[in-house]
Parts: sequence; structure tokens; C-alpha cells
Amino acid sequence: MFAVLHLPDFALHAVLRISHAAPGQPHALFAGIGKKSVLLAATAAARSAGVALGMTAPQAVARCPALVIHTPNPTAESEARAALLAVAASLSPTVEDTAPGVCTISLTGADLQKTFSFAHAAVASLAALALPATAGLARTPLLALYAARHPGFDRARSLNLSRSPSGNSPADLTTGRTRTHEKDERERYLLHLPPESEKQFLAPLPLATADPSPALAAIFATWGLHTLGDLTDLPRDELVRRFGAEGLALWQRATGGEPRPLRPIVPPQTFSASLEFEDAIETLEPLLFLLHRFLDRLTLELTASQHVAAELALTLHLVDETKHTRAFRLPEPTADPEILFRALHTHLASLHTAAAICAIFLRLTPARPLVRQQGLFDTGLRDPHGFAETLARVVALVGSGHVGTPHLADTHRPDAVTLAPPDAVIPAPATPPVHPALSAPLRRFRPPLPARLEFTDGHPAYLWTDRLEGEISFRSVAWPSSGDWWQADRAWSRLEWDIALTDGGLYRLLRIGDAWYIEGEYD
Amino acid sequence: MSAAPAKLAALRHLLAERFPAAHRVAGRTLTTGLTAIDDATGGLPLGAVTEIICTAPSCGSQLLLGQLLAVTRATRTRVALVDSADSFDPASWPIDLLAHLVWVRCTAATALSATDFLSRDANLGLVILDLRHTPDRELRRTPSTLWYRLQRAVEPTDLALVVITPRATVPSAQVRFTLNTPLPFAALASERTALSTALALTLQRQRLTPHTAVA
Repeated sequence: MFAVLHLPDFALHAVLRISHAAPGQPHALFAGIGKKSVLLAATAAARSAGVALGMTAPQAVARCPALVIHTPNPTAESEARAALLAVAASLSPTVEDTAPGVCTISLTGADLQKTFSFAHAAVASLAALALPATAGLARTPLLALYAARHPGFDRARSLNLSRSPSGNSPADLTTGRTRTHEKDERERYLLHLPPESEKQFLAPLPLATADPSPALAAIFATWGLHTLGDLTDLPRDELVRRFGAEGLALWQRATGGEPRPLRPIVPPQTFSASLEFEDAIETLEPLLFLLHRFLDRLTLELTASQHVAAELALTLHLVDETKHTRAFRLPEPTADPEILFRALHTHLASLHTAAAICAIFLRLTPARPLVRQQGLFDTGLRDPHGFAETLARVVALVGSGHVGTPHLADTHRPDAVTLAPPDAVIPAPATPPVHPALSAPLRRFRPPLPARLEFTDGHPAYLWTDRLEGEISFRSVAWPSSGDWWQADRAWSRLEWDIALTDGGLYRLLRIGDAWYIEGEYD
Repeated sequence: MSAAPAKLAALRHLLAERFPAAHRVAGRTLTTGLTAIDDATGGLPLGAVTEIICTAPSCGSQLLLGQLLAVTRATRTRVALVDSADSFDPASWPIDLLAHLVWVRCTAATALSATDFLSRDANLGLVILDLRHTPDRELRRTPSTLWYRLQRAVEPTDLALVVITPRATVPSAQVRFTLNTPLPFAALASERTALSTALALTLQRQRLTPHTAVA
């Protein structure tokens, strides 16, 4: 059994996929940018406005003024091809990249019912990636391709059904059968061709389906042969005698060919995507749209290869020939595109570049999924990615180096604090110290408040600062401290007093050299 | 007419069953270990805003903060401190007490936005917004809609949001305490636990009914 996933109008949909096209708008793909280049494909909205294949751009626009014109984009096609192959890999490890927009999958040994549901899921996945697809399941790759290209084929009308044991006629079977709307929808894009139905399916298909050479096609047209059934009604040996190997090959194609070994693709070893913009972009929305598309495809490839992303690397190339590069280390490797997208979105939302963006490159570093048994009493993060995103947002707001868990530097220098990223797992509390803490904690003024003092009998009696002033009612003895004396540029020395003001308030008075400060409030 | 209240009760019951996240029982609290708070309200209400007004200098707001850090450290509940005046002093505490703390050193201009982000994170159990040293003019400039936005942000969560202010500032606070007694000079030689226990917190407002503490 073989399956074929087919993307009709592949080049057009590949371009639409990355161009942020509004749904329902008429779009058309032309061969080139010249006035005489012909229309290769058009959306349903364009066709309903009268646009037809082979028209030139002026002709098409005359029929449909709102027509949006596109030209083939090799990068977009490469992205769409990669997405198609990634989805196909979810059905089977043996996937062949048969043609642009077509891939063939070997389903040897697969359970038929499961295959149906996987095929439906594959088509749905491609639709979610803005790649409308059809699928065919058949005995040979060629039959599967024909089935994928004609999924709406009404087998009931063409099948020469014998009467069922209940005595119902084929017409009764067609109209009396209960069909759910969902089944109708599915049968529009997925066709399974059982062996007994092959001949009846092939018979009415146009002769062009078997891709005859122009010379043969002209001959058959003069003979009045228009369908595959007309051709296969002729004796095969006579056809071979008349047309040689070419006739035999055509006959074989007209009968659906034979099972053949596929040329399987090599699974991707790197997971990256890039695009150069025709017009440099200056706003966030088109960039985010494109990144979402990239991530949809890349995460599919990761999942198909049993990997997750441990790190993202984003590079933005600017028009002034500089570039902005950022690496995102994920708190927990994942293949969830939404989590990866949020990490990028949070960063880009606060990014300002000196110039417009002319190209983008995104790379995911693969890793094996973590297999980790949580400890019974572990209090790790409920949502590691959400926490990382929250911290990233706060950092974007307040600046890096201002968010984290405080750690004291190994020095006696006052206020020597560093911030480290919060631990994923909060350690168990340490044994409390033997001696309980004394005194109220300090609430610092950063920087310390410059102070002026009035002295009485050599002792500070009144204090003024910008924020507070008052009579000093109590003071402790001076507490000297110093450090780093062995380094001339880092040596420090100070005297501290604890003071109380008459109107309330306990403060730390500081003297450095001849200057006085209020370092903090005991609170 | 008598059937209307019964129907209303049945409708409320049905809504509570269908949408349990929207029907949170008021009164879930975080025990603080401070008698003044736990006896009055059962602890800090979860999914609500508590305002601590510090009208006097050296009234003990950092002692209160330290007590909250100790209680949450024991249960390994993650805490965020949004420090609008960058006044927190880690050296005043044993470093182990801060292992679960996320300290945000910011300014008054960014403090509310940072608190908004943190209040929506499911990994945090307590968020403290310290506006004690924020100038009055900055506090007056804060529109009340921002406070109600914060309240809406914490309502569906299991998080307690504490805002420390120099005067009554948070109109959406469900619970409001005041600290208005300065510490005496002798406090500098007293055991810290005794100072915390003796904090003179006065309940000024309570819009939630007390309930059994959950932490």
C-alpha cells in the first residue's frame, strides 16, 4: 500500500504561505515579472472572477482588478516542501520526495484503519500549515498519485456495484446511505482506491492523466481516444507493436503502474530556516508571522526525528549590513511551537534595530527529550517555560542584571550583592543558625543619602538630608570597618553609627572620609 | 416568587460545576505566622490584594517582609519582590532565606508593570510590591484602573499580592493593614523574631470573610 500527499497549485500556495495573505483575496501566480508572462495558477477567488490559466497579467487584472500578483519563490517552495515531507514522515519513515508538491509514502505492513486516520491527520496538519493538500491511498505509487489528484471522484456512480444482499439498487445505496457531513468533507480530500475499484476509477480519467507525449496525444486524439479507459480497451500487444517502448510505458501508466521501491529521503540533520525579503521590513507583525511559519515546520521535523529543541538562535540581517544575533536557551527542551514562538516574541517585542530587516535566519539546536523522574518532595517549577517567559518580560522591562535571586559576594564590602537566575528547584531550607538574628533589618538608600550634621559636644545632634531631618535622640558607638586595603583602587574604609531620631525612625549613619551619609533605615 | 431564590441557587450551583475556575471560594489564605494578621483575617488572602500602609518611619515593614520570606521559605513557595526604590538589603538576612526569592530591582515607573507580569505567573505563590519609598507624586500619578487591573490579574490565581505603601494607595485592596508605630532604639539589640511577633499591625479594611488557612 502506498500513500501520496499532493499539494495542488504547489508554487502558488507556497508563496501564499509566507506572504501573510488575507483569506478570500484573489491571488495568482505568474511565470515571471514581465507583462507577457502567463498565469500558472490562481486561487478560487481569482478563478471565480474570471481569471484563467494562460492569461497574461494585464488580461487577468482587467478581469479582476483586486488580483494580487505573485511570482515563484524558490525559498518559499523549499519551506513548503520541507513542511510536506515533515508531515509525511509522521505516516511512515519511508518517504519519497516525488515531485514539487508531491510525496509518496510506503505503508507496507500498516493497519488500514489506522492509516486512514493518520492520513486524515496529515492532511489536517498541512491545512493548519496553510498548505491545502489531498491524499490518495492505493496499491501502487502511481495509482495513489492519481487518487490524490482526483479525491472527489464519486466511486459510487462509477462502480458497477452488484446488488447488495438486501436487494437495494446502487442508486438506493448511494442515496440511502447515511453520510455525516464530516465524512463528506473527508472524502473531498482523501481517496482510498481498493484493488477491485482500480479499473472503474481509471476508466473515465482523461488521457492526459497518463502524461502521453504530445505526438502520441495527437494520434490518440485523431483516433477518438480521450480517456484512460479508451486506451486500455485497446489490446496492449497491438499498442506495443505500434508504438514500441513508449507505448508500453504509456499503457503501464494508464493501468496504474506497478509497486516500485521508493527513493526515501534522508531525514534532516539540521533544523534551520531562512528567508531574504524582497522589501526590507520594519515592523514586528510580518516578522512574527514568518517566524511562526518557520517554527510550525521546524517543530514538525523535530518531532518526526524524535528530538526537541534545546536552544534557538535567531539572526536578523539588517539593510546597513549589520546583524542582530540572539541565542535563547530554553529552561526545558521542547518541540511545542507556541512555547518557542513566545520566547522569540518576548524578545522581539522590546527589540529596536538601527535599520530595517532584509533577511532572517532561525536555527534550532536539537536534543533528545528529557526523561526525568521528579522527586517526591521536589518543588520544581509548575511551568518552566511560563516562568522563563515571565522573567524575560520583566528583564525586558527593567533591564538585564536587575532580576534574579540575590547572592552575597565573598567580601566584607557592604552591599556586595549579585543576582543569579532563579533555581529551577528550590532547595530544602537549611538548619536555622544557632544564634538568632538580632536587630531590625536595614532598608537601604541606594545611593546613600548625603547628610549634614550639627554637632553638640563633639557628637551629632541634628541631621538634615533631602528626605528626612530631625534631632538625634540616641546613637550607638561608632563601628569602623574597612577592606581591600591591599588594592589601592578598591580599598574602602568607613565608620557607622546607629541613630534614632526624636520624631521616630532608626537609621544607619555613615562617615566615609569627611562625608556623611544615611545608608539606610532600620525597618 | 418563592421559587425564584431556589432557581437562582440552582443556577449558581450549576455555574459553579460548569466553570469551577471562575467560582473560587473566597477566603483561601497564606498563613504568615504573625498573630495580628492571622487572627484578623486568617492570613494573607490568596487571589487578592493586601495593602500594608506604613505611615511611620522604622515601623517594621522589612520585618514583615522577612517574616513572609521565612514562612514561604519553609514551604518552598516561590516569592517575587518588586523593589521600586531598590531598597532591599540581602545582607540583612541569612542567605538561605533568600533561595526562593526573585528580586526585581526597578523604579517606580516600571514597578507596576513588572508586578502585573509576575502576578500572572503560576509558579509564584507570593508577590510583594514595595512602594514604601516611592515618592508621593509617583503614587498620585498611578491611575486607579491599574490597581483594579492588578486585582483582576491575581483573582484567578493561587497567589497573594502584598503592596507596601507609605499611605493608602490601593483602592482595589481587599485587605488593608497599617503599621504606624516606630521601632524603639532598643529594637536594635532585640531578637528579630521577637520584633516580628510584636509588630503592631492594625486591620483597617477587610472585604473577604476569614477562612481556614491553606498554607
